[in-house]
Amino acid sequence: MSTILIVDDDARFRTQARDILADDGFVVIGEAADGASGLAAAQALQPDFVLLDIGLPDIEGFDVARALAINGPPPWVVLTSSRDARAYGRRLTNGHSLGFVPKERISGAAIRALVDRP
Amino acid sequence: MTSTFAQVRGLLLVIAGALGLGMLVGKAQLAPLDLGALLEVLVGWSFVACGVLLWTRRPASRLGLLMALVGMLWLVGRTMTLVPIPAVFTAGIWLTDLWAAAFVLFMLAFPGGRLTSRADRAIVGIFLFVAVPLEFLWLLFWEPAASACPPGVATCSRLNALTVVPDASAAHLLDTMQRIGFTTGAVLLVIVIGRRWLRSSGPARRQMVPVLAGALAILPQAASWMLFTIGIRLGPLQNLVFLTQIVIPVAVLSVMLRTRMARAGIADLVVELGQTPTPARLRDALANALGDPTLQVAYWSPSVGQFVDAAGQVMALPEEGTGQAVTMLERGGVQEAAIIHDAILLDEPGLIAAVASAMRLAVENDRLTSEVEAQLQEVRASRARIVEAGDLERLRVERDLHDGAQQRLISLSLELRVARSKLGEAGDPEVRRSLDRAADEAQAALVELRDLALGIHPLILTEGGLGEAVESLADRTSVDVTVDVGSERYTPAVEGAAYFVISEALVNVTKYANATKAVVRVRGLSDHLTVEVEDDGIGGADPRSGSGLRGLADRLAALDGTITVVSPIGGGTRISARIPTIQPTPLPVPAL
Repeated sequence: MSTILIVDDDARFRTQARDILADDGFVVIGEAADGASGLAAAQALQPDFVLLDIGLPDIEGFDVARALAINGPPPWVVLTSSRDARAYGRRLTNGHSLGFVPKERISGAAIRALVDRP
Repeated sequence: MTSTFAQVRGLLLVIAGALGLGMLVGKAQLAPLDLGALLEVLVGWSFVACGVLLWTRRPASRLGLLMALVGMLWLVGRTMTLVPIPAVFTAGIWLTDLWAAAFVLFMLAFPGGRLTSRADRAIVGIFLFVAVPLEFLWLLFWEPAASACPPGVATCSRLNALTVVPDASAAHLLDTMQRIGFTTGAVLLVIVIGRRWLRSSGPARRQMVPVLAGALAILPQAASWMLFTIGIRLGPLQNLVFLTQIVIPVAVLSVMLRTRMARAGIADLVVELGQTPTPARLRDALANALGDPTLQVAYWSPSVGQFVDAAGQVMALPEEGTGQAVTMLERGGVQEAAIIHDAILLDEPGLIAAVASAMRLAVENDRLTSEVEAQLQEVRASRARIVEAGDLERLRVERDLHDGAQQRLISLSLELRVARSKLGEAGDPEVRRSLDRAADEAQAALVELRDLALGIHPLILTEGGLGEAVESLADRTSVDVTVDVGSERYTPAVEGAAYFVISEALVNVTKYANATKAVVRVRGLSDHLTVEVEDDGIGGADPRSGSGLRGLADRLAALDGTITVVSPIGGGTRISARIPTIQPTPLPVPAL
């Protein structure tokens, strides 16, 4: 069972994502509402995955991903946003994340598809 | 009145003509006519003719009348001495001397027509003293010698009607006194006029040249008077004096009428002023037109409350009596500028008025030009502000969509999926299908909403810059697009303009060009950005059709940019835009 940390400022989204991912066989080991506490939680909990919102109130998701990549063994970061990939272009493929899934498409299958992607 | 004067002037000319001819006839009987006799007549004619002409052209000036009278005295006096009638002869002798006083008066009265100083009056007084009381005394003793006899008179001892006691030595003494008096007066005249010439400047100095020449010509005349007393007659010198005296009226006339020529200078001035010259060139143009190299222009400074020069230094306007005068330029009763010029130009009110109105035009023109310039600047700035405000508004709408409807649709979408997943394979299949359809609908709505948001404001442009935004555009374009865009950042307005040009161009490539590939190039140069979108399609795009390119042209114009479309049929389409990256400093928003 893979562990996952959800970092998003929207509590309702966190709840929905937790429900969906738990249903899909993930263990949601933590939640954080902003970039700073997300980084701290990741450090403390050492999750396998981090579901990371790009539009965080304090630190942009891309920067959180980069910080996660620098500090210790990197968890797999899955970026998410209520915007779609067109809003971010090539910034999504900068090597600090596993990939991007729009919020409404979040599911265990979508995350595993990123892992299995060649 | 005018016709009376005209008749007088005509009469003067006729009399002068007749007197001159009479003089020639008389002289011819005395001796064969020589150059001297001819020149002598011409002196009189020159004064009368030029005087009458000046009187006609400048009726307000007394100088013309004075000049004509000098000529008449010359002709009348000298002709009368040729008449063997004692009273006439004697009067002629007298008038001939009186002429000298009139001539000196004329020269000292130049150009105003009046004597202005005590020295002037003293000199005229000397000449009058010689010509009237001394002459009278002399005539009481003088008996004309045979050489002074009019033609056809063998002995003229009785020709002097005033002879009371013929006394040659007394007559000679008085004659010498007269000659000394004339010579003294002549030297004083030269000194006074010479000093006046030296002290004047510019136009006044030029104007005085003929009078100075006339005064100098008196010196050989005086010399001949003195030489005559010791029995030497100088024919050629006399001719030279005559010649000078012929030229003087002509020169005076030309100087007095010079303003007519100066008016041609006004035309040049107006042309020069029409090109809104620099203050230095304006001063030069005015100095040229008025022939016054000392001319200065002062500008009224409302903030300082004084006149200042072009460099902003406070300038004192000259006082009266300094030889300089001031012509004010006013607009609507408010003084704007002042021309400081030689006071002599006040004698030509027409000229100075013409120059003043030409300059007033220039000042007005200048004011209007800068007003229009300022308005244009303001319109440009406000257009740029409108585009900027529009861009900000689009950004705000995109954020609102993202934070509002988009979040709710996502939440709805996820909620439906949670419900669907909780239901699993249980429950009514109808309900399951309904939940699936609802999730699909929410998804479709979300896609449409995102398309809308992207069209309103591409977040990637603000976040990632032009390069990333164009890459993203290229990824979404169905034809193969080569992107050659750097990662430099520009102002939101410039990036927005460039982005929308490329976006619109790529839409056209996909929709109409029937192209297989396209190239997008953006080059950042020192002060502008060039944007090029080129395809290998069918060409024939008409920038006038369709509002897309038209709107782009407006957006670019707000930044002083341009867009060109080259699209030959069958030769692909190339859209180029030039966007200045250094925007003029916007004017402050006017207070409402």
